[in-house]
Amino acid sequence: MTPPFRAVLGEELGPRIVVISREQTRDYARQYRFESARFSDDERARRIGLPGIIVPGNMSLAYLVKLVTDWIGTRPATLVRLSTTYRQLVRPDSPLTLHGVITGAGGDGSVELDLWMENELGERLVTATATVRALPA
Amino acid sequence: MAEQGPLAIGATLKVTGPITVSDQDVRRFCELLGETNPLFLEEEAARRGPYGELVAPPSFAVTFRDVGHFADELFRLGKLGFDAGKDIEFVRPIRPGDQITATSRVARIYEKTGRSGPMVFVVVRSTLTNQRGEIVAHVDHRFTALAEFPAEEIAPGSGRDRQ
Repeated sequence: MTPPFRAVLGEELGPRIVVISREQTRDYARQYRFESARFSDDERARRIGLPGIIVPGNMSLAYLVKLVTDWIGTRPATLVRLSTTYRQLVRPDSPLTLHGVITGAGGDGSVELDLWMENELGERLVTATATVRALPA
Repeated sequence: MAEQGPLAIGATLKVTGPITVSDQDVRRFCELLGETNPLFLEEEAARRGPYGELVAPPSFAVTFRDVGHFADELFRLGKLGFDAGKDIEFVRPIRPGDQITATSRVARIYEKTGRSGPMVFVVVRSTLTNQRGEIVAHVDHRFTALAEFPAEEIAPGSGRDRQ
């Protein structure tokens, strides 16, 4: 039987540690036609002032979405809104920690969340807010 | 002074599609991100799930990125352009077999001063529709570049604002 969708204020999602590899970054960039060398070529990325290749924002976004969809699981609810801000560069091959916390739970079955991705120094590289809503029975 | 080019509020930058989403497209997306949620990958589990059939992960919506050439335009305005973030409204799930059309327009241009100095932000709204003409998502792409031109010079009289 499918469990009901309930959320508790302050409930945490994660922390979950992920490492996005260089190869994965290059494959993603190739697959989705990110043509800038900043996602695939260290030397050319350095030439434009970057420390090396960086992870596309869309990949960081997808990892934060995954944190939410894993939390929803098979419960009858869906992600209806996401707002991300890319605050600092995300580098491949270094541990990233994904966090989430429930900041609001409405009587209409909607849930508000804060999400973020941290580096090893605890700096928030990507921040986001999201809304999850219960699906009609 | 910067050329106006496509940088005018409301200007349609591009219409892409329809692009047919295959099972393989969704599987490849999941593979690249280490996604193993059975609701996106296993028909039997998906059938028992909230949608009754396979759907793509919500983040699949951002793969319909037809704004690459626009980013090039933006980078022309500044020293180093970046994707600053996304605001997404997920209206309905994308399913394998859907035919998605993305229509992108300039929604907003504004200037903001950050740690590195003045920056120009351009918001491009991509509206994704399926083969029935239903909206599946609105994706607002926020691009930024260190300003070499003030926002006033980008699209005069176009309703830009500041933050």
